[in-house]
Amino acid sequence: MADAAKWQTQDAHHPLTRLWTARRTGGSPAAVPVILGAPVVFWQAVFFAAPLVFLVVITSWRVRSFKLEPAFVLDNWEKVLNSGPFQKALVYTLEVSALSAILTLAFALPAAYTIAFRLSPRLRELAIAVLVVPVFSSYLLRIYAWQIVLSPGGIINSLTRWLFDLELQLLGGQFSLQVGLLTLTLPVAVLILVLALSGVDRTLLEAAANLGCRRARVVWHVLLPSIRGAVLLAGSTAFLMSFGDYISPVFLTGSKPPTLSILIVDTVKSGSQWPRASAIGVSMLVILTLVLLTVGWLGRERRFRKGGK
Amino acid sequence: MRLATLFSRIAQYAFLVFVFLFIATPMIVILVFSFDANRFPTIPWGGFSLEWHKAVLEDGMIRTSFMNSLVVAGSTAVIATFVGFAAAYIDYRYVFRGKSLMGLAVAIPPAVPASILGMAMLAFLSRVGLFGSVSAIVACHVAIASSFAMAIVRLRLRDFPPELEPAAHNLGAPPFTTLMRVVIPFCQPALIASFFLTAAVSFDEFLIAWFVGGTVETLPVRILNLLQGQVNPKINAIGTIVLAISVTLVLLAQNFIGARATQRSGTQEE
Repeated sequence: MADAAKWQTQDAHHPLTRLWTARRTGGSPAAVPVILGAPVVFWQAVFFAAPLVFLVVITSWRVRSFKLEPAFVLDNWEKVLNSGPFQKALVYTLEVSALSAILTLAFALPAAYTIAFRLSPRLRELAIAVLVVPVFSSYLLRIYAWQIVLSPGGIINSLTRWLFDLELQLLGGQFSLQVGLLTLTLPVAVLILVLALSGVDRTLLEAAANLGCRRARVVWHVLLPSIRGAVLLAGSTAFLMSFGDYISPVFLTGSKPPTLSILIVDTVKSGSQWPRASAIGVSMLVILTLVLLTVGWLGRERRFRKGGK
Repeated sequence: MRLATLFSRIAQYAFLVFVFLFIATPMIVILVFSFDANRFPTIPWGGFSLEWHKAVLEDGMIRTSFMNSLVVAGSTAVIATFVGFAAAYIDYRYVFRGKSLMGLAVAIPPAVPASILGMAMLAFLSRVGLFGSVSAIVACHVAIASSFAMAIVRLRLRDFPPELEPAAHNLGAPPFTTLMRVVIPFCQPALIASFFLTAAVSFDEFLIAWFVGGTVETLPVRILNLLQGQVNPKINAIGTIVLAISVTLVLLAQNFIGARATQRSGTQEE
């Protein structure tokens, strides 16, 4: 009570303006957004935007006697874009991440369907809680664990040797790489799809079923179209995560063949060819942006057509 | 129930169990083999042993990196929660030019591949002389983690009764008092959740910490360096500790938001 009285006397000096137009009045009401906003803008500008801008800038710099020098030359781009290792890594990385996106959807869609439609609300909440944990915990360690499981002397091989006298070459190929990438992408993709499926209007599905539509056709013609946006989001997220991943290709294929992320890390950690590493990084960002824009455009195009009918 | 439907149901549940097993396997492997007496983790199990946990506790470098990680994760969590809250509240409450740009600058960083972002941050920070310190890692981790804090606070602010702020104003509270006594208390669960979640994000991050940390190692960076050497049974033992901490952080965060978020999305149940 005493506090309330104090505020009133303090506020008596201010003209009583309506709160929702507070930002126009200047003085103390405008102070709040400035005090709150300044650190946000400062932090993201200095520690996120500036590094990325600087990354683009140094692609045109020069390296002289192991030192980075400001310049404006284009031969870093020329050297990177024309180099065989870069082109090979680019094609390989694109293939790997496209395959990973497809596999992720193939596994995530049925799993999300079962979680959203077949589990009781309590079990569904538990499933979601369980899926959130791996998104934020120790990706590095989980890939190391797959290395233990898949290696020639590892768990699976010990089992197959004991049971069938069989040795499998599991580590070091597309199989182990995709296992690692699925570890990264699957929980996220399932979560996106479960949230989307839980929001689907059930009456539509029941209506289709009542009109004699079989379950498979309901899924294909009613359910999937109504979560198209989420499917595209899950797929492109999986693509993005796999495209930039460094850990799975290093530990599950031994960097053979290298991906673009590996090229970047190796260039930065081993030498002073920063401008070239930056050129690789910038090309990756350009490709990712193009892919995401295309996917966004795909989503919009379909919605437009549906609305136009 | 028809036989075909029954089979289809069984297949669906079996597939779900398979997917969950796939997701859980790596964590179980780390946990189980950290107590294994064998040097190289494989089947058959070499018997129960706490040898490797003891070796971890006696390793000075691991202890130092662990302390670094605690400092980095703690500081990151405090600053990122503040930045994320500020961004979410400004987004909720005000209209101004460039607002969506600010929102993007906070939201996007986790979507940029860490290898690229780490290189960019290293190049920039070494230019401005901030490279190779705990504060450099914190600064970069905040730039990524605020995104998660903003998302959590935004979710909470969606339930904020719009008449509360005008009411506080009519009772004579200046804007700053309203913020401190009405908005922040309302957001408290979200703030606690985002503290834990951003701590988990930072505690788990290794590429950027590896790039900008220089000789300062956080725990995941120490693990990365150990992994690049020979097979080291200590890794499983550190793994259990790291896993226990990050799982606890995520569960704590979920405890403060989880139920609310999923209840809303699951309301269409017939």
